[in-house]
Amino acid sequence: MSAQILITGGTGLVGQGIKYAIETEPVNSHFGKRDGEEWIFIGSSEADLRNKGQTEKLFEKYQPTHVIHLAARVGGVFANMARKLDFLRDNLLINDNVLHTAHEFKVKKVISCLSTCVYPDKVEYPLDETKIHLGLPHESNFGYSHAKRLVDIQSRAYKEQFGDNFTSAIPTSVFGPHDNFDLESAHVLPALIHRCYLSKTNNTPFVVWGSGKAQRQFIYSRDLAKLFVWMLHSYDSVEPLILSVGEDEEITIKQAADAVVKAVGFKGEYQFDTTKSDGQFLKPATNKKLLGLLKDTDFRFTPFDRALMRWCNGSYKTTWMLGQASRSSDGHGFKAILTSQMP
Amino acid sequence: MSVRVLVTGGTGLVGQGIEYVIENEPANSHFGKRDGEEWFFIGSSEADLRNQEQTRKLFEKYKPTHVIHLAALVGGLFANMARKLDFLRDNILINDNVLHTAHEFKVKKVISCLSTCVYPDKVEYPLDETKIHLGLPHESNFGYAHAKRLVDIQNRAYKDQFGDNFTSAIPTNVFGPHDNFDMESAHVLPALIHRCYLSKKNNTPFVVWGSGKPLRQFIYSRDLAKLFVWMLRNYDSVEPLILSVGEDEEVSIKQAADAVVNAVGFTGEYRFDTTKADGQFRKPASNKKLLELVKDTGFAFTPFDKALDETVQWFLRNYNNARIGKPQ
Repeated sequence: MSAQILITGGTGLVGQGIKYAIETEPVNSHFGKRDGEEWIFIGSSEADLRNKGQTEKLFEKYQPTHVIHLAARVGGVFANMARKLDFLRDNLLINDNVLHTAHEFKVKKVISCLSTCVYPDKVEYPLDETKIHLGLPHESNFGYSHAKRLVDIQSRAYKEQFGDNFTSAIPTSVFGPHDNFDLESAHVLPALIHRCYLSKTNNTPFVVWGSGKAQRQFIYSRDLAKLFVWMLHSYDSVEPLILSVGEDEEITIKQAADAVVKAVGFKGEYQFDTTKSDGQFLKPATNKKLLGLLKDTDFRFTPFDRALMRWCNGSYKTTWMLGQASRSSDGHGFKAILTSQMP
Repeated sequence: MSVRVLVTGGTGLVGQGIEYVIENEPANSHFGKRDGEEWFFIGSSEADLRNQEQTRKLFEKYKPTHVIHLAALVGGLFANMARKLDFLRDNILINDNVLHTAHEFKVKKVISCLSTCVYPDKVEYPLDETKIHLGLPHESNFGYAHAKRLVDIQNRAYKDQFGDNFTSAIPTNVFGPHDNFDMESAHVLPALIHRCYLSKKNNTPFVVWGSGKPLRQFIYSRDLAKLFVWMLRNYDSVEPLILSVGEDEEVSIKQAADAVVNAVGFTGEYRFDTTKADGQFRKPASNKKLLELVKDTGFAFTPFDKALDETVQWFLRNYNNARIGKPQ
């Protein structure tokens, strides 16, 4: 059967992971493209989803039957705290435009993307699918969190009043190719990689912020991508689904930094600046529900060290890193560094 | 200095309460109109606030310096449950249009209107201003509640990023003249009044839906109106403010129904249909913060029976012009 699958935010970290999965997994396998499917990856240059007219034009052009909605305004702690209204309102606009237009176009399924970072700051761990709304989120992602939580509410409302098949996925910390490496707004792993490259080239100490003891569940974007493809084909509940490695697979920031040092091949001085904050110490999420659903597939998470090594050493990453160079906080250096590293 | 106050939802229950107060309280008193003030009461026939363009045209026309934002898609239990998306989305659109346009027009203050019904279903009582977001609201007002809670979040975001003076009031159950008496969507008191009136007129039993046991704090719209006027002039915090009678002044639905029977003068058969839903059992809210703030204003709440009687008399006098829905 013919299906047009529109991926908003298709040029980003998760979107490009899905593109990779669609292009490399065997056709008609659990995590691959199916016959008759067309997958369309959209970025902000094609349509500003904060604008209703542009969103409608996009849907008119591609006539999607399915949508994986990843587009969002995202940023690090500092951007989020300086522009609470922008992060709230832009995301509200994007989400309303995509969901309502999908409804109007009678799209058969929409999978939106939340995050474990939108959970309540004060909550009993581990996180599971029932705890999203049990208190206020952490101030550091105020606007983003409130807008994302609302997507779960919107999905339920559309389902209940109209029978629309809308749902959402909740990944933990994602990493992989095509990430944002800009030190002003990058998440922890790309920030570590970028910082370590700079240390290697400039012959300076590699300093990791915080004690190194904070723990995180990291999910490789290409593993996450397979799970999105699986959800698109097989998951029809309005209830959100956590997409994560197991609780027992949390990694400390120190373990992550050690892996980065190894992958980058850094041999200089390596230390932790304990005067810097750790962020939240831990926020384990349970993937019980997911594992139960996947048990008859052959899905396996890529081991962390292997995913990181692949990511650091693949040539695909440099194109993205070069693209980020003009936004990196040190200005010029990153591009020059990579050019000098190229074989 | 010229002050132009735009009241959205101005033709509704609370809006008309404010209009009454502005016209009847002594000029320049605590709750009366002040010299140099102009008040505009806007209804949906003048602008559909779900539409950004219409909202902008409204602000261009009136150039408000202040806004009391009461407009919303509201309805009773049954309407809310049948149309979850409409109640969510229409209210989000209205609120975003009003707040963002007010921001663009550099309005000096916006007071929006939440409700105690948007609080978490599972929460420790009494409710106070800090508990709004501590869990999911009751399913019976799903869409409305989520949209209204978001207003508190929006206010904080506008205040934090731009310094806009946006805040909100949190009334409990409001009643009074100009309420919606259409039985398909009315809240409990106007529904009781209308039903009792029809029972009297048609000589049929007066049947109250539910067990009669749920408890509510009711606030008379004309008392609430005075508090809105007070807030407009004196309250500058982003923190929302509960506007309610005291916790110890809760009334059961049965007590309310008894008062209605009395005010309407109904003497026929009067009973409860326990097969119908009760909605939330009770949700007492603390008005401690409010009482402290208004202690030097001479403000006092109208006693419930008196306020209900005034409301019933208004309904009986204005039956043909009231919002009664289909003729019965």
